[in-house]
Amino acid sequence: MKPVEIETKSGKTEAGKKVFFARISFPLFGYILKRILIFIPTLFIISLLTFILISAAPGDPAETMLSRSSSEGQASDKLATERSYRELRHKLGLDLPIFYFAFTNTAQSDTLIRIPTKNHREMLDRLVYEYGNWPQIENYYHQLKTLEFSIIATKKDSTNVDALIELRNTVAKVFIHHQDVVLSALFTDLKEQSALAPNLVDIKAKVEATEIAYSKIKSEASVWKRYVPKVQWSGTHNQYHRWLFGEARWVGEETDPTLGKGFIRGDYGISFFTKRPVKSVIWDGLWITMLISILVIVIEYIISIPLGISLAIRKGSAYDSGMTVALFITYSLPVFWIGTMAIFFLCSPDYIEIFPPFGLGDATMEDGFFYKFGDLAYHLALPLIIASYASFAYLSRQMRGSMLTVLGADYIRTARAKGLPENKVIWRHAFRNSLLPIITIFASFFPALIGGSIILEFLFTIPGLGQITYAAVIQKDYPMILTNTMFAAILTLVGYLVSDILYAVVDPRISYSKK
Amino acid sequence: MAADTVREKNDQGYWAFVWKQFRRKKTAVISLYIVILLAVIAVLAPFLANEKPLVCKYQGELYFPVLKEISVGFGIGEFQRQFQNIDWKKLDYDMVIFPPVPYLPMNQDDGNIHSKGPFDEQVVPSMRFHHWFGTDELGRDVLAGMIHGTKIAMTVGIFSMFIASVIGILLGSLAGFYGDENFQVSLVRLWGNLLFLFFAFFYAFGVRSYDITDALGKSLGDGFFQLFISVLIFAGVITLGNLLVIPLKKIPFLGKQVAVPFDLVIMRIIEVLNSIPTLFLILLIISIVRKPNLYVIMGIIGLTGWTGIARFIRAELLKVRSLEYIEAANSLGYSHAHILFRHAIPNALSPVLISIAFGIAGAILTESTLSFLGLGPADTVTWGQLLSYARQIPQAWWLAIFPGFAIFVTVTTFNLIGDGLTDAMDPRLKQ
Repeated sequence: MKPVEIETKSGKTEAGKKVFFARISFPLFGYILKRILIFIPTLFIISLLTFILISAAPGDPAETMLSRSSSEGQASDKLATERSYRELRHKLGLDLPIFYFAFTNTAQSDTLIRIPTKNHREMLDRLVYEYGNWPQIENYYHQLKTLEFSIIATKKDSTNVDALIELRNTVAKVFIHHQDVVLSALFTDLKEQSALAPNLVDIKAKVEATEIAYSKIKSEASVWKRYVPKVQWSGTHNQYHRWLFGEARWVGEETDPTLGKGFIRGDYGISFFTKRPVKSVIWDGLWITMLISILVIVIEYIISIPLGISLAIRKGSAYDSGMTVALFITYSLPVFWIGTMAIFFLCSPDYIEIFPPFGLGDATMEDGFFYKFGDLAYHLALPLIIASYASFAYLSRQMRGSMLTVLGADYIRTARAKGLPENKVIWRHAFRNSLLPIITIFASFFPALIGGSIILEFLFTIPGLGQITYAAVIQKDYPMILTNTMFAAILTLVGYLVSDILYAVVDPRISYSKK
Repeated sequence: MAADTVREKNDQGYWAFVWKQFRRKKTAVISLYIVILLAVIAVLAPFLANEKPLVCKYQGELYFPVLKEISVGFGIGEFQRQFQNIDWKKLDYDMVIFPPVPYLPMNQDDGNIHSKGPFDEQVVPSMRFHHWFGTDELGRDVLAGMIHGTKIAMTVGIFSMFIASVIGILLGSLAGFYGDENFQVSLVRLWGNLLFLFFAFFYAFGVRSYDITDALGKSLGDGFFQLFISVLIFAGVITLGNLLVIPLKKIPFLGKQVAVPFDLVIMRIIEVLNSIPTLFLILLIISIVRKPNLYVIMGIIGLTGWTGIARFIRAELLKVRSLEYIEAANSLGYSHAHILFRHAIPNALSPVLISIAFGIAGAILTESTLSFLGLGPADTVTWGQLLSYARQIPQAWWLAIFPGFAIFVTVTTFNLIGDGLTDAMDPRLKQ
């Protein structure tokens, strides 16, 4: 009586529950294990992709984290800021090469990335691009640095204060320019300014030394180096390795608590914005998004399966055609529009106030369970409706379609011909087979829900994964974005896995032992 | 004779048949008309909503300011001295015809700031200048924004789908047509080309990185010129490398034929891309872009949206490649490229058209979502952006309803066209 032949080990004659349990057996677990093993390289590639994308981001996170206001201060202040800046860059691992290896040219140097200031790095990179001789350029940079410090360190008095301020401004310009014309002019300025006061002999000498260093770059240029490719190997001491695996010891007690453990050991780094560990924020958000997604899926399936079946049974009736059009329109309504309108008209004192417009309620730990539950349900009701309407429309259409296909099959005709009541035909014979396409849809639903969480949580200000990601994108908080994207990918892969397992449980034809 | 003509009439070709089937579905045809209407609005946007008059007679002379504006935009001609930096509405005309909506989307109407509704009291000289769809917080006309937003939506939909289809069709057909075994090259050519690819990138883009970025910063024309040079270098290095390979192939070991597993590689790429929820991926890319303008947004949507098309055409080519006419072409000795581009792809294109129609709807929806989140193109007014203003002003129902409705209609019509195409091209796909 089975619609299709069963290939499970449990044999063909067993029916009902026994088959169900027999199927969740060794071959299936083997299959699941295999799928999980396949996920690992996929996740690895995703981590690589996201990390490399993020590392192309403009701006210097360390610079934004430290509000560097003391550029006008004393020499000691300046030194202190530089040191703390360098320390922060070291703590965040920004002074490391990005990846295990890099394709560059022979002109480039691996020490460039250790220069703390971003503007300076860009200027130096330009010089390397233009002249291709790093040793001379490095020397020039050192000379320029000494010049800057000696200007700051020189004692100010009434005769030299104007000259010093001018010198300082000019040096600041030298640091960010690379064009020959501009630099020559700036050096002339520097020489004039250092001649303004009599007690600036030391600075004058340093200006000349810097200029000599600069002219050396030009005279000893080796542009050809730029055209020779080079593979630069950095070993495991790089940003990606540090982020993924961490630097802390794998076995035994770690003596240095500042060393990170890396992504795969549950250490997601420090948020650039809040300066707190990403871990402290992400789990709460993840749970909220998971809860909403699972509730949405349950609601969708509970509504759309019976609806789809009822439409299929009454195919061609006014009810069917009317509902089909209605479902199509529902499906096409953009979530953010309906969400905005719902908040606008249903949560506002100006119109109708039924639902709360944002948040998840204010229940605290001390409140009773029922209060907590009620409060959460009250706050989640509208978001759940908004999140589920579109896909429930789509799902119902699919359910109707697959039910119609099954109802047209030969074995259904046989069942009807032997006089089974219609009820039994549908629920005993057609139902389970018509579920198969719906279950495959689950695989694409889950990522859509995780992606959709960004819009939903933005609309209703729910502190879930989506909202955290959105805030992180606005704040350019890259460790946060990276971690969230990784978790979104992991959730998606878990969704695929669940859909595979469900498929195996429902479809008797699928045999995992043979694969 | 008669029978022949009858047959000719019936064999009008595949597309005529599709069109005939398509016309049967009323919703699809109506949607097509709506899309044409939207396209017309998009093209005529500067004539429909503009602050300058269409035609005017000023101090005894006849002018066409909107036409002039367009030609100025193309770099032909310049506005007359007396028309520079003036308020066009305050001039003393002998005769004047303003566009239907006499406002520009980005310009503020100082008399009607703080979001005036369609039925509110508006400070306008006459009903001719009434803001029919209200204004936003800054006093910008919503209807003008919607008309110019049509242009943005249509551009995004079509161009990002164009990018997506080029990538999708190319990769999908490689995967489907060659599979894992059918593309055989010599060992040295395979590894050689990977190496040459690296060198080509190095010399075309790596070595010239600052030349290109500087030129792009200077002007778009200079940038494209530098990019063109880079592409030439790229092609040159690859060609040179492949010429070098020819003598090396004579060596037995290096000349061994190996298969390029196109299908495996491309399907793995698709799998990885599909494992990251699209919106997360798009947000990740937006976070590393300094200022997302319209081109960047279109590029991002296109680059993330090709997987569906690729899978579609792969499945189709898997079917097509075992058909007799491909075998016939093979035995006639045609080259792979010839068969692929002249015979296989054209026959697999029809289902792609369906996914392009759905894809345009999806692209427009994605762009509006991004604009709604405040992450869309910053240099223009878009529907999503207008809708997002509604969140800040609780009384402005016109901001909540009109732009959202425009998004809804556009997305729905493209979806209905996709639906109609599905019915017309492959009735089996549809239940």
